[in-house]
Order: sequence, then structure tokens, then C-alpha cells
Amino acid sequence: MILKIFINILLYLIISCSLQASEFLIKNAKIHTTSLGFIEGADLHIKEGKIINISKNIIVSGIDKIDAEGNFLTPGFLAPLTQIGLVEIELEPNTRDDSSKYYSSGLGISKAYNPSSSLIPYNLRGGITTSLSSPSFGKNLFSGLISAFSLTSSLEKSLIKRDIGLIARIGGGEDSRAANILMLEDSFLQAKKYILSGKLEEHFKPDKISFSTRDIKSISRVLYREIPLIVHANRASDILALIDLSKEFEINLIIAGAKEGWRVAESLMKAKVPVIIQPIDNLPSSFDEIAASLDNAAKLHEAGVKILISSHETHNAYLSRQGAGIAVSYGLPWHAAIDALSKNIAESFSLNSIGSIEIGKTADFIIWSEDPLEVTAFAERIFISGNEMPVMTRSLRLRDRYLKE
Amino acid sequence: MKKYFLLIIFFALLSCSEDHDSRQGDFEVFKSTYVPEKNVDFIIKGARILTGTGKEILDGFIWVSENKIKDIGETNDMPEGIRVISGEGKWVTPGIIDIHSHMGVYPSPSLKGNSDGNEATNPVTSHVWAEHSVWTQDPQMPLALKGGITTFHVLPGSANLFGGRGVTLKNVWSTTVQGMKFPGAPYTLKMACGENPKRVYGRRKGTEPSTRMGNVAGYRNAWIDAVNYSDKTNLKRDLKLDTLAGVLNGEILVQNHCYRAEEMAIMLDISKEFGYKVTAFHHAIEAYKVANLLSENDVCAAMWADWWGFKNEAFDMVWENVAIVDQANEGKGCAIVHSDSAIGIQRLNQEAAKAMAAGRRAGLDIPRSRAIQWITRNPAKALGILDRVGTIEKGKMADLVLWDSDPFSVYSKTERVFIDGIQRYFISDSLTPKSTDFELGIIQPDKNRL
Repeated sequence: MILKIFINILLYLIISCSLQASEFLIKNAKIHTTSLGFIEGADLHIKEGKIINISKNIIVSGIDKIDAEGNFLTPGFLAPLTQIGLVEIELEPNTRDDSSKYYSSGLGISKAYNPSSSLIPYNLRGGITTSLSSPSFGKNLFSGLISAFSLTSSLEKSLIKRDIGLIARIGGGEDSRAANILMLEDSFLQAKKYILSGKLEEHFKPDKISFSTRDIKSISRVLYREIPLIVHANRASDILALIDLSKEFEINLIIAGAKEGWRVAESLMKAKVPVIIQPIDNLPSSFDEIAASLDNAAKLHEAGVKILISSHETHNAYLSRQGAGIAVSYGLPWHAAIDALSKNIAESFSLNSIGSIEIGKTADFIIWSEDPLEVTAFAERIFISGNEMPVMTRSLRLRDRYLKE
Repeated sequence: MKKYFLLIIFFALLSCSEDHDSRQGDFEVFKSTYVPEKNVDFIIKGARILTGTGKEILDGFIWVSENKIKDIGETNDMPEGIRVISGEGKWVTPGIIDIHSHMGVYPSPSLKGNSDGNEATNPVTSHVWAEHSVWTQDPQMPLALKGGITTFHVLPGSANLFGGRGVTLKNVWSTTVQGMKFPGAPYTLKMACGENPKRVYGRRKGTEPSTRMGNVAGYRNAWIDAVNYSDKTNLKRDLKLDTLAGVLNGEILVQNHCYRAEEMAIMLDISKEFGYKVTAFHHAIEAYKVANLLSENDVCAAMWADWWGFKNEAFDMVWENVAIVDQANEGKGCAIVHSDSAIGIQRLNQEAAKAMAAGRRAGLDIPRSRAIQWITRNPAKALGILDRVGTIEKGKMADLVLWDSDPFSVYSKTERVFIDGIQRYFISDSLTPKSTDFELGIIQPDKNRL
């Protein structure tokens, strides 16, 4: 056994000498592409961080070749709505930067992002290459703004795009949910006034703090449809109320949670409102989500709603894959599940260069040991912008220390 | 004079034994009333069977008669003339057992009115019993049944050093908790190390513990009282000490919530100091650091496949934790995969699959027939019910799961779940699992929840 472990570690070290070339080929992969469908035995040509060709039998001489040995190759997955880079240990307030007492809708978290967080290489190893890091849904109406980060651990080059969506929540809580909706409405009306007059009404306190210019500007950006408004809501009737509101103010709405989404799938589809769901969570945990069900994803997809799949916890953001696998076992087509982990997320947040294997896109992709939706699957090789990423994590270091002893 | 003296001694002894009886008497209250109806004999034929004993039968049969497993073997040795359920292309495992659940005491929906898992009013509450909090109509239970859970162990929470008694339940619909109680299963005692007790009591003014050393002083003080109580026979009956005395005499099994390696080693020393046994450490994020120590002391570790980071003591998680514990001491380790979650309990098979895959990738040789023991045989052992469930062997309770495919796949679903030979879930029967009372008409008056 000791010998076996030693060989394993040795193999691991060899593999972890990662490829760093500006141009190379991936040979013989099972690739899920957007425009060409599913191709087995396909090659991928990468140059200067971009995908420049996808086809069978690409022949280019004089460049490195990586044999994918017929394995699955998918886009690097995106984690929508995590606190990656904003939290290290949940119960230790000093390690958390995912909420503020002094800002409401204006809390852009990009400057708090810590590229050296241990959660980053860990989730990268699980197959996440991009995190849409965001303030947590708290008790407040607004939590703040999402930013997208590449999970490279680079101190200088992690940010992909700043302030790409505004987060809010409604539902059962201390105050009536009617007040939640009215407060959203009032926020939009205030922002409209602000746009016209350039002046801020000081008494406006949707989250018990006076709105700053920063806060009102975020809402203005939603009204201008520069960014979507992501509202956490689970109850079917709450989702309908939000759809009405989005029509009235002509904003781009995304529903997060949506545990009862399947009950209003038609309305979501007609209003073109995407949903961010956690398919693994089928518990009727509160009276807002009594109709929670494992076939939510399948039913929403079937109705034509764009679904984005997330994990129910930040530390294991990559477990969105398990949720996607469960959704597939309850009727979601496999390809739709892969899109829900990648392309649909990129599209919904206008991250146009990532999220799919297509010519011209950034070369963020993963070669898997098996079907990536399987719980037993591992990311064998991980690439961000055409650079192979090391798969070492703090957790692996711990493992190796105690396996050797 | 001497005569009187002897008489006094005689009466003292008499009253002593009476007193002793009254202390043991609590084992007779809240007695299980669960009796399965008689099943019609059937045979599951042609399935791939993971027996839970460490074996795998590729083309096997299981004969169920009188609520028990009457026979198990290769299909070509199968008896004839008995109703057959086809298992061809399918898999059978023992009923899945979750050793760490709060179903019923922290039910869904989570409401102030039904949140009954932590008696967080004193660090020592060994007098409270989880079964007195259980809401049997918790809709989490039928969801767990669909995931193959036939037995689950409900524990009080971990706010206290001594949280109270746990109870082992069969996952059957009942209006009373007695109707779910696993007949004859030993009681357990929930203990908790580390951050939770020190956080809960440390933030209150002037209450102990607020540190880990405060925790340890708290355990030891309570055990001193318990030893004293066990030794003396003329003391007033005390519910708190009844439970602790039950641990000291081996009737109650200690289930110890403990994350850190150092603390597990300390707890083992405390158990030796007072002469009791730790049956299992729960959560045990750092069990891989002391895997041999646990195995040498015959202690199981009940773990997650991958939870981490929610608090400091859960920071050193490795995916290989379960596998390393399993392989400790030349493969004599006792590893358990537990849920502590009404989401996780619905797919313990997937959690075991993750842990198995991580172990294999680290070079450890773990076949499915071994990994299935993490959610069947080993939790049964740590709950003191291995003689009746946990493996598919002649004479055991017929708690069985028929899976439509490899249970170590994310795509695998249960097709049928039997408890004592009674089919409690069948994928093609929409009346199963039986809806809880809560689910009747809760969304639409004329329909059940789902």
C-alpha cells in the first residue's frame, strides 16, 4: 500500500508539471460544444489563450500535443452567486467580507476579493474556473453587487468584470413581503428621480441606512438595463410579483432560489427571466418553499426557462456538478445540465468571452476523468486562458502529509 | 444486637436492589411499539448484491420470509415457487443507515414552534431525550426513505457538552415515536467537543465553558458525579445521572461530536479515566490525523465526504478522510459516512461514492463492497444493532434497497425500499412513500405536497 501511495504521489508530481505554451493541441476529447453539438474524438487548437479551432483530426506540426485519451472536455464551470474570495471561515467574522452595515445596493465587493483564499485552488480543482462572487443574501433588501473572478489565484489578474449584477431578496422574514416589493418599487422610483434631478432624497432608507449616491447609482444601472437585478425568492407567488415588477420598470430580472419555480415556469419563460437554482435542495425548509422538488430543473428547462445551476454552499461551490447530476437523474437533459453550469451563466451576466467551447472564446476548459456530473469524477487537467493550472490545494497537502506517515 | 445489625444490612441491600431497579426502570418507558405486518414471501432475483459483509454477489437472489432474510445466494441455487421481483441489471444493498440525523427534532419546515433539537440551557443536559422532541410527520422522513434510508439515529444538537439521549428509529410512517423506535436498540448519549459548547455558553455572562479546557473540566466533573451516583445506592433518582450511569455500565453508547485530532485523543483519555467507551466520534474532520489511534481503541468515526470551512475546527478537511480511517491499522478501521443533513441523508450513497473515489485516487484499494459498509454495516455496529441490520445475512431484518443502477453513480435511483420485508417505497407506486400528515392538502387542498 505504501508503495502504491508513493507511486501515486510521484505520478501526481509529474502530472502537476503543468503545460505552459502559447500554442498547443488537445487531441481526442469528448467535447460538449455550443455550435457543433457533442463531438467524440475531437481536437482543440489553442493559441494565445483562445480556442482557434475545434474539429476532428486537426494537424499542426511543431506544437505541443496533449492526449485527452477520449475523456470528457467541458468549459471550465462558472459558480454563480458564491462568496469565493470573500469568506475563509463562515463563523469567523474577521474572515468575512460578504456584507456591510454601511452600504446597501452600492456594496461592490470587488476590492475585498482575496485571490489567495484557500477556497480558490480547492474549487478550481473541483472544476470551477470562474466565480461570480457576491455579497450574501442577508436580512436586508439589497446586498450589493456581484463581480466575476477567474480562479487563477493571481494577485494582479483575477478580476474578469466588476459590478455585473445587483443582489436583493424578498420573502418571509421580520417584515411583510409586501413591504419588500414596495421597497423595491420605491427604490426604482427614487433612482428615476435621481436620474432626472441628480439629487438624492436623504430620508430614503430601504435597509435602515440612508441611501448614498453609490447605492442609488447601482439601482440606476439596473433601470438602464446595464446590469440585471438578481432577486432571491422561492415562493411561486413572490416570483410572479417580481415578474410584474420587472415588466413595469423594464429591467432584466434573474430569480435566485426559485424552489417553487416549476409552478410558474410558463410565466418565467414568457418574461424571459432566467433562474439560478440549487437542484440538490428539495427540502420544504420554510413556508416559502413547500413545493420544493427534485424535478424543478427539468420542468423549468422543459418549459423553456434558462436555468443556471449553483451549489448551496460557497466552500464546496464545485458541488454544483452533483446538483446538476441529480437534476439529470430527474429528467434534465445532460447537455442542458452542462450549459446550466457554464454557458447559461456567462450569457446571463454578459461574460461573452467565456462559458463555452467555441472558436474565438477564451480557453477555459477542463479534461475530466469521466462524465463530469458523476460524483466520482475528477478534473484531470485544468486550463484558464490557455494556461494549465496546478491542481495543488491545501487540502491535498494535508492528505499527503498523513498518507505518507 | 448483632442480629439487628444483620437485619439492617439485609434491608439496606434490599432497598439497594430496589433502588437499582428503579434506575433501570427507565429502559421500560417509551417502549417501542413497532411491529411490522407479516410480509408475503418474495425473492429478489438476478441482482448484483452488495451484502454489506464485504462481499459482492454478481447474480444473486434474496429470499424474504416473515420479515426476515431467509436466504441469500447465487441465482442458480434459488428455490422455486415463490413470488419473484426481478432484479436483473439492478443492484441490491442493505437498507441505508444514517447514524447522524436531526430529522423530527429539526424538521422541515423549520419553524420556531418545531425547532426542538438543542436544550441549550445548560452545558450538561444528559437528562433530555431526543425522542421526546420527534415530530413523526416531518416530511424529511419520506424523502430520506426514497434515498434508501431504512434506519436513522436522531441525536440532540451539539450546543451542550452532554446533549442528551439519542434514539434509533425505523423509517416507517407512524403517529407516535414509539411506533418508529427500533425494537431493543440501545440508547445513546450525545456528547460534544470543541467550538459549539464553548461558543454557546462562552457568550453568556459568567457561564462555563468558554474554552476547550472549560469543556474538558465540564465532562470530568459530570463523570465524577456519575461515578459517585453509580457507586452509591441510596441517592435520589436523577435523570441526568441515570443516563451517565447507563454509559458507565455499558448500556448506553457514547456518540461524540468531535472535530479535532487533539480533542479526540483527549476524549479517549477521559473515557479511560472514568471507565466508559466512546463508540463513535461524529464529524471527525481530522480523524485522518489519528486514524490508527481510533482503530486501536475500537472507535468508529462518522464523517462527511467533503463538508468544511463553516467553522475553524472544520478547516482541515480532506476528501480522503473516510478512506484513510477505513484503511487504518491494516484495514481494521471503522469508517462511517453520515449526513447531519436532511439533504445529505437523501443520498448517502453518493457521499460514500465521493469518499470512495477520493480514496482510490490516493492509491487506496477500496472496492464498492467495502465502501457500502460505510453506510450500512459500520453505522449498524456503532448503534449496537449489527446483529439485526446492516448486512444482508440469513436471519436479519429484511431491510433492503433495490437500486436501478450502480448506487455509486449520481444517476442511480432507488426503485424499491423494504423495511422488515414490507415495501415502503416503490418508484412506480405514486402512493409511496406514504405522505406525512403535513403534506396533505398543504399546497392544493385536493392534493398531497408532491
